[in-house]
Amino acid sequence: MAENILMKLDGATRTYTMGDVKVEALRETSLDIYSGEILVILGPSGSGKSTLLNIMGGMDLPSGGHVFLEREDLSAAGEERLTRYRRNEVGFVFQFYNLMPDLTARENVELASGLVENPLPAAGVLKEMGLEDRMDHFPSQLSGGEQQRVSIARAAAKNPRLLLCDEPTGALDYQTGKLILGLLARINRDRGSTVVIVTHNTGIGSMAHRIVRMRSGSIVEIIQNKTPVSPERIDW
Amino acid sequence: MNVLVKKMLRTIWNTRGQFLAVTAVVTVGITVYMSMTTSYFNLNASKDRFYRENNFADYYFHVVRAPQQVVKQVESLPGVAVATGRIQKDMPVVKEGDQRATARITSYAVPMEGEVNRIQLMSGRFFENNPQGGGVEVLTDLKFASANGLSFGDLVYIVADGRKAPLTLVGTGTSPEFTIAMKDAATLMPDPRTFGLIMMSHQQAQQIMNLPGQINQVIIKVAPGFNEELVASGVKHILEPYGNLASYPRSKQLSHAVLQGELDGLKASSRFMPVIFLGIAAAIQMVMLGRMIKGKRLEIGVLKALGYSSRSIILHYTGYSVATSLMGCIMGTILGAGLTSAISGMYAEIFNLPQAIGSINYQAVLYGSALSLGVGASTGLIASRGVVKINPADSMRPNPPKKGGRIFLERWEWIWKRLDSTWKMSLRTAFRNRGRFTLVLLGVTFSVGMLVMSLFSNDTIDYMIKKQFFENQGYDYLVRFSAPLKEHELLNISRIEGVLRAEPIFEIPVRVHYNGKSQEDSLQGLNVTTTLKKITDKNGRPLQLPEEGVLISERTAAKLGAREGDPVEVETLLGTGPSRRAALKIAGVNQQLVGGGSFVSIDQANGILQERSLVSGVMLKVDPGTFHVVEKKLDDMTAISSVLSRQKELANFDKNLEAMIYSILIMVMFAMVMGFAIVYNSSVISFSERKRELASLRVLGFTNREVSGLLMKENMLQSLLGVALGLPLGRLMTQGYISAVSTDLFTMPLVIYPQTYFLSTAGGLLFIWVAHLVAVRGVKKLDLVDVLKNRD
Ligand SMILES: Nc1ncnc2c1ncn2[C@@H]1O[C@H](COP(=O)(O)OP(=O)(O)OP(=O)(O)O)[C@@H](O)[C@H]1O
Ligand SMILES: [Mg+2]
Repeated sequence: MAENILMKLDGATRTYTMGDVKVEALRETSLDIYSGEILVILGPSGSGKSTLLNIMGGMDLPSGGHVFLEREDLSAAGEERLTRYRRNEVGFVFQFYNLMPDLTARENVELASGLVENPLPAAGVLKEMGLEDRMDHFPSQLSGGEQQRVSIARAAAKNPRLLLCDEPTGALDYQTGKLILGLLARINRDRGSTVVIVTHNTGIGSMAHRIVRMRSGSIVEIIQNKTPVSPERIDW
Repeated sequence: MNVLVKKMLRTIWNTRGQFLAVTAVVTVGITVYMSMTTSYFNLNASKDRFYRENNFADYYFHVVRAPQQVVKQVESLPGVAVATGRIQKDMPVVKEGDQRATARITSYAVPMEGEVNRIQLMSGRFFENNPQGGGVEVLTDLKFASANGLSFGDLVYIVADGRKAPLTLVGTGTSPEFTIAMKDAATLMPDPRTFGLIMMSHQQAQQIMNLPGQINQVIIKVAPGFNEELVASGVKHILEPYGNLASYPRSKQLSHAVLQGELDGLKASSRFMPVIFLGIAAAIQMVMLGRMIKGKRLEIGVLKALGYSSRSIILHYTGYSVATSLMGCIMGTILGAGLTSAISGMYAEIFNLPQAIGSINYQAVLYGSALSLGVGASTGLIASRGVVKINPADSMRPNPPKKGGRIFLERWEWIWKRLDSTWKMSLRTAFRNRGRFTLVLLGVTFSVGMLVMSLFSNDTIDYMIKKQFFENQGYDYLVRFSAPLKEHELLNISRIEGVLRAEPIFEIPVRVHYNGKSQEDSLQGLNVTTTLKKITDKNGRPLQLPEEGVLISERTAAKLGAREGDPVEVETLLGTGPSRRAALKIAGVNQQLVGGGSFVSIDQANGILQERSLVSGVMLKVDPGTFHVVEKKLDDMTAISSVLSRQKELANFDKNLEAMIYSILIMVMFAMVMGFAIVYNSSVISFSERKRELASLRVLGFTNREVSGLLMKENMLQSLLGVALGLPLGRLMTQGYISAVSTDLFTMPLVIYPQTYFLSTAGGLLFIWVAHLVAVRGVKKLDLVDVLKNRD
């Protein structure tokens, strides 16, 4: 794997102030994310995984430290630059899918693909996700797994460099979960997208190139996985 | 199609009830704006054009009689641009079956180029000075001709010098001073059956009235840049030797005053009403969109995460309110055009204006569209400005539980303790959502206020009719003679079978002088023991007519600044015989709803003229069964110039009221639409906002009815307060309306019967209740499992 650094966190912190109480959701953290890797972030609930992922995705800014996209310091960027970053570079997959209820599957994908210069065709991506028969259904007419596949299609259609997934299998059963992870791995393999998956499910770690373990707002361990396994063969 | 646009259309579809409700309010606002502005514009334009094309006079001077040459003298005054001399006189008309009517005969130069107050021909042809085959050719106003079934070539008989003179109708016409044909300011409504306008040549008029080479009116146009009053006093000076009966500027000219009053009212409402409707529509949208955006925090966060900028998301939500405006604007323009043509049709019925007065005014369409779209866009932008603050990372986290807390009412423990828990819940929610509470309160207040304002005219008119025709007027007929008679000659009339009571009346036009000021008035001499005429002061208390002294009219007293006990001088303006002056003491101030008049004893009236026992008319109370017989007998008497019948006046009134009913109905409908839209939207919002809470109640075992009842209680709190405030507001709005339409010559009393307040309250409760029912239809459909399991 070419050690091309796509993103670099340098002493990034995130503190929430609620009245007099300060919650350090993310303590000083430094981390390099390599182009084309699958990175799995593991940790118990409340350990700061989502906080870290949100900062990577330009959804939130660090309270201290820096976030570099290649050479550009995103932590100094304004709202407009962040929007452009999210638009052009990032695809999000959420635990609860967060599809627009009043748009069909295809339209949900188009909602995202319409934002970028060279999107992948919405129908094509949905087909890849095995949804050719469901394209004109509304989210309320789809199962959880199908909704999550639409959500991945939505993220993938932008053909982003960075695909960020927060608990993508959290709301799904074992079989469906594996299917979803397989799709993510395929996007990584076929398109070279960097995929970051947040989960508290240790088993998923075995599909990653690297595993980051977190506890109470800090990275406690980074594990290189020399032999990533394809998701179909993972067990948890 | 852009996906965001598609999404907006779906949102509109999914909230179609609310969307339509807001659209309806915008529609009403634009309809009102369009129709009133256009009607105003059209009526004003056709008035201006009519006035300009026919050289409408700036000032009027009435004299007893003057030689025609005096006009040249007047015209040579600096400041007088043009002067026209003419004869104008009210004469009795004898119709078929010998019924009487009154015609205002006006004379014109032939040809009339360059003159003031020219005629605009409506049909037929102009009269000629010396028609072939002799006779007298005349024009009448269109309404008089059609009300009396006259067509070209028919003869109209007037009584002049005690003789019936035939006039040949050759056409119909109108003039700027005849836009509405009413005898005087005491006339409530035009009645073309009994009053009409007849136009003929100078020569013919002078001959018929036996005034060779004479005129009795001078009308002028003032040259630009000159002070009207200064010019007028110069003219008065010239006319002094000829018995100056009256002089007044255009603003006091009757038909102009009526038309101007209508225009002013229209202008006032065209400014005021759309502002209310569009303001309310904006407020509803503000609350609705604000609510929508709060509820769609997650969705907005996701859009931001996908890379949509705050600006494009704001525009997306603004699109919603712009869509309501657009739709409202389109429908409002269409309905407005319809309403405009109805209003124009009504004006065409009322006013004698030559041009067609209905057409679309593109400026109004442009302004209306700009107005509604502007309001929609700014509302959307303001309401969705909160989008900027939504942080995408934050929005993914579940909402913190709503703030709970005490409200001020809880400090009054003795009340609070007595409330059951559902009331407590309702009260807390109502007070916590202050913006929405205020909106509903305002909306309901305005709607109910508008209901009061729409319905009041019925009360005022009913009150005026009752006062005028039944309380103050005890007689069934008022008979006027062509020339004063001796009182004993009344026996002919009082002996007619069916006449229960006959009382003499002596009407003398006068000018009252006091302290260097003067005012024209009508002096009415009555028996001090009169039972057929009630005279009251401004508080409605009856006044006793004194042997000596005058019960002066409120208006004259106000103009002169005179009060009870003050001495005034009256100058008679009969136009025949010598003018007399006499000193009178003000014994009291009387007020009448319609018209005016100052009252003296009939002996004193005779004394002023240095006469004895003369009368100019008689008031009759007649056995209702014999109306026809008495009328027939009266018609047969030649000395009579006019017969006013209470019954016929009332009938004429009722006919004119029909048109009013429609405008009242439309206004009521508009008010109800607005009230409904507000309550409905607020209820829907409060319902969807609290779905989970309500579902929990259902799970606890509350019935559907109990849950809807909870919402109803909340609704009631705001709505009842709104109804209560709407009633006094309605009174204020009515007062504003009356002062907008009041002119120098007309004013309406502010009378609102309890029944109107009752109806407005009922109307208010009705729209509140219906809106509530429609809004909470969803309670039944509440899917408990679904609502409770869904996060967000
Ligand atoms: N907006 C916020 N305001 C206050 N505290 C916050 C906020 N966001 C996160 N936190 C706190 O920061 C800490 C880390 O939260 P984070 O969501 O990153 O955890 P997580 O590892 O994703 O947990 P989970 O597995 O439950 O999703 C938690 O203690 C959380 O309560
Ligand atoms: Mg998390």
